Amino acid sequence: MALTAVAWMSMLLAIILLPGVAIVVLVKSMRSEERKLELLQEQGSIDSYSPRALTELREWVQANPNDPYASIARERHNECVRTLKDIDEPYYEWSAEEIEQLEELQP
Amino acid sequence: MAMLGAMVGAGNIWRMPFTTGENGGGAFLIAYVLLLYLIAVPGLMAETMIGRYTNNGVIGAFREIVGSKRGQGLGLVVLIVNVALMSYYAPIIGWALYYAGHSMLMTFTQPGFEPQAFWDGFISNPALVIGMHTLTMAGLAGVLVFGIRRGIERVVKWMIPLLVVALLAVAIRGVTLPGGMEGLAFVFTPNWDYLTRGSTWVAALSQALFSTGLGWGIALTYGSYLSRYDDVPLGGGLFTAIGNTSIGLLAVFATFPVVFAFGLEPSAGSNLLFISLAEVFPELAGGFLWAIVFFVSFFFATFTSGLGITEVGVTTVSEETRLSRSKSVIAVCGAIWLLGLPSAYSSSFLGQMDFMFGSFGLPLATLSIIALVAWKFGPERARVIDLNRNAGIYVGKWWNPVVKYVIPVVMVFILGYGVVSSIGTENQTLMILGVALMAGLVVVSTVVMGAIGNAPEATSETVPEGGD
Repeated sequence: MALTAVAWMSMLLAIILLPGVAIVVLVKSMRSEERKLELLQEQGSIDSYSPRALTELREWVQANPNDPYASIARERHNECVRTLKDIDEPYYEWSAEEIEQLEELQP
Repeated sequence: MAMLGAMVGAGNIWRMPFTTGENGGGAFLIAYVLLLYLIAVPGLMAETMIGRYTNNGVIGAFREIVGSKRGQGLGLVVLIVNVALMSYYAPIIGWALYYAGHSMLMTFTQPGFEPQAFWDGFISNPALVIGMHTLTMAGLAGVLVFGIRRGIERVVKWMIPLLVVALLAVAIRGVTLPGGMEGLAFVFTPNWDYLTRGSTWVAALSQALFSTGLGWGIALTYGSYLSRYDDVPLGGGLFTAIGNTSIGLLAVFATFPVVFAFGLEPSAGSNLLFISLAEVFPELAGGFLWAIVFFVSFFFATFTSGLGITEVGVTTVSEETRLSRSKSVIAVCGAIWLLGLPSAYSSSFLGQMDFMFGSFGLPLATLSIIALVAWKFGPERARVIDLNRNAGIYVGKWWNPVVKYVIPVVMVFILGYGVVSSIGTENQTLMILGVALMAGLVVVSTVVMGAIGNAPEATSETVPEGGD
């Protein structure tokens, strides 16, 4: 029995959306973990936030200074800034200029 | 990877094929994939994130974020649903154990072997099914007490690829059997009528939660063991959900060509995998070896899922009571064994438990966890402070309305639609029982935790509800 065009399309779509995506994610995840491990072994620590994520974190703390979670957010922000200024090779794509401009947030 | 190992189990390999068969094949898969991406992926990110952030089991996580004793009742709901689900999952691990044992005795390739008669003989023998259930729970308790879990997980790292290879071999043989392609046509030709039925969507939602482990408390518990350098969105969310389902899809590929080639009933129910796959091994070159590879690796996959599910209760009980870890293991495993006896004794009771807790309990537990992250902690806080920390992918602002509004609304709508559309059908009584049981569970858990819950730390009581 031959499959109809609709059945072939559904099957192809299911393969792309499930094992296809899973393989891409697995490869990306393994490469990323490998790089983290390598950097941790070389430098002892790595930056925790990407440029975009750190900007959002900073803006959130500045917009919500009295939030009960502001202190932990500030602590995480400042730790990332200190790490970036301390290490030679960041995990995320930070430029030297971006790192230079970063400042710790004051309580 | 550990989370994936814990979640690849019977939910994907045993449950997904028969649920697909019972709900119209292709149409069910469409509903399933849609809900997987809409609910399971962002939901798993939320559940894993809150576990890592709080470093606590289910009740502790609710205590830390909600900050009230009664609020911890929703954590108790998650725990009770988890134990109830495990009570009927354990007998299925027992089935897998029985079949793994017989695969090594080469039973499935003996001349004159009859898969249906073999299954009927097994399932109608109470001593045998209860014995297997008891062996399973004793094995799980032993592994958890003696701390050899890591050893077992190392074995499973090899067993999962072997399982995939065995499923691939069965799938290839299945489609090359006369009539096998009809199975693929059944699975991948959508019958659009099914998409208008509430039962299809309830089943797809339940399957998405069952196979990805969302709402079981597993992701939350595993999240509490994650380090700050672990990647929650990519590893804990996307890969766990999609990787799991990919194995489920492979099981569908392996099952249905065989079902149609041997003239079995695709909507046969919970025994579909055990009967259909036992049919195909004599047709394969080196069939006894393939049977061993498949059933032994299937057993290990279900067993490690059992470890992950039971760990939720063990972690929570040892955190919330004065019991040592060993005593917590014995208490939780003992409770699951006892509650699992009716499901082990009667597969129709098991089916009813699956309908009530899979269709209503699991969505309720999921809604509790989503409410904790999205309505109490706040999605923007969660995303900005923790979710994007050491993440391999950046999770944008789209995630906030998805976890806060889309997931709860879609789940409540599907459940409501499922309830309304089952009125007047054979499922009506079970549906009313399921809804009443879940409502009672929320009330009782809230009252119980209000009376006996551990008081939250003073600082968390001042936390306002998180907005986005």
